[in-house]
Amino acid sequence: MDRHTLESAAAKYSYLRGLFGIPAGLAFIAAALGNNAVGPFAHDWFFVLVIAALGLMALAITRYYNDNYGRLNPSSTQQVRVAITVAIAVAAMVGGAFLLRDLPVNGIAVSFATLMLVSYAITVGLSAHQVIIWGALLIAGALPVWNGEDPSNTGLVMAGVAVIACGLLDHRLFVRAFGPPTVAADAQA
Amino acid sequence: MLRPDEAAPVLDRLIHEPGRLAILTVLSSVKDADFLFLQRATGLTKGNLSSHLTKLEDAGLVTIEKRFIRKKPNTNVALTAVGKQRIAEHWAQLERLRQLSEPDEPRPAHRGP
Repeated sequence: MDRHTLESAAAKYSYLRGLFGIPAGLAFIAAALGNNAVGPFAHDWFFVLVIAALGLMALAITRYYNDNYGRLNPSSTQQVRVAITVAIAVAAMVGGAFLLRDLPVNGIAVSFATLMLVSYAITVGLSAHQVIIWGALLIAGALPVWNGEDPSNTGLVMAGVAVIACGLLDHRLFVRAFGPPTVAADAQA
Repeated sequence: MLRPDEAAPVLDRLIHEPGRLAILTVLSSVKDADFLFLQRATGLTKGNLSSHLTKLEDAGLVTIEKRFIRKKPNTNVALTAVGKQRIAEHWAQLERLRQLSEPDEPRPAHRGP
């Protein structure tokens, strides 16, 4: 019996529910398309419709995890940790994009990749795929090739793709930790 | 090695059973969790988990709340204050036992004149 594995089960449950990465990543991409007014995204109502659909997708994913893997309320320590992580995240995103605005780098990609690396390291520890995906985004964003047009929207698309890819691999880790979804689906007592 | 004035570690038999130790350890890291999550996290069967939870509830280490979520029955479990204290003490005793089982540090060789 591994004490650490048992104690970290709640953190893994909270942070490795990677299917949420799909609507989150699509929201990033939709934001970039909306900013560039690409196709139907030229209309504000279409963007709102897409975000609403992604919200419904997130609700369905919540139900999938609750029905197949159960529910929990995190401890107050974990809640404080999440609050601190979110505060650092917001500060890092805003501050990073501001500090890097005059450099030929992609501020969105660099600050978001750094934020994700730090938040995974604080919460569940970094896995190989997280280091590779967020490291690649960080390097791509930090390459001094982003002069000229505002690279924010390209950064949003890159971040969106990274969120989806990382989410799918996080979900794989989640299933490895808690088992396939059908085994205990009828286990409510 | 125990010192002469030191008491030997005492393990709590109720908690030391692997299934119950797993349940309490998982619960010690959350505010509360439902039956299905505990089953997933501990790998216990439905019957085993149910039986262990009944024993833990009878001993006052956990509270069990039966409720309905979207018309489906749901069992929610939380550690009591006594349960929190007992599981923390138990892990401390196990840690002490582990330290006692380790060989004493080799003494440096005596280099006399």
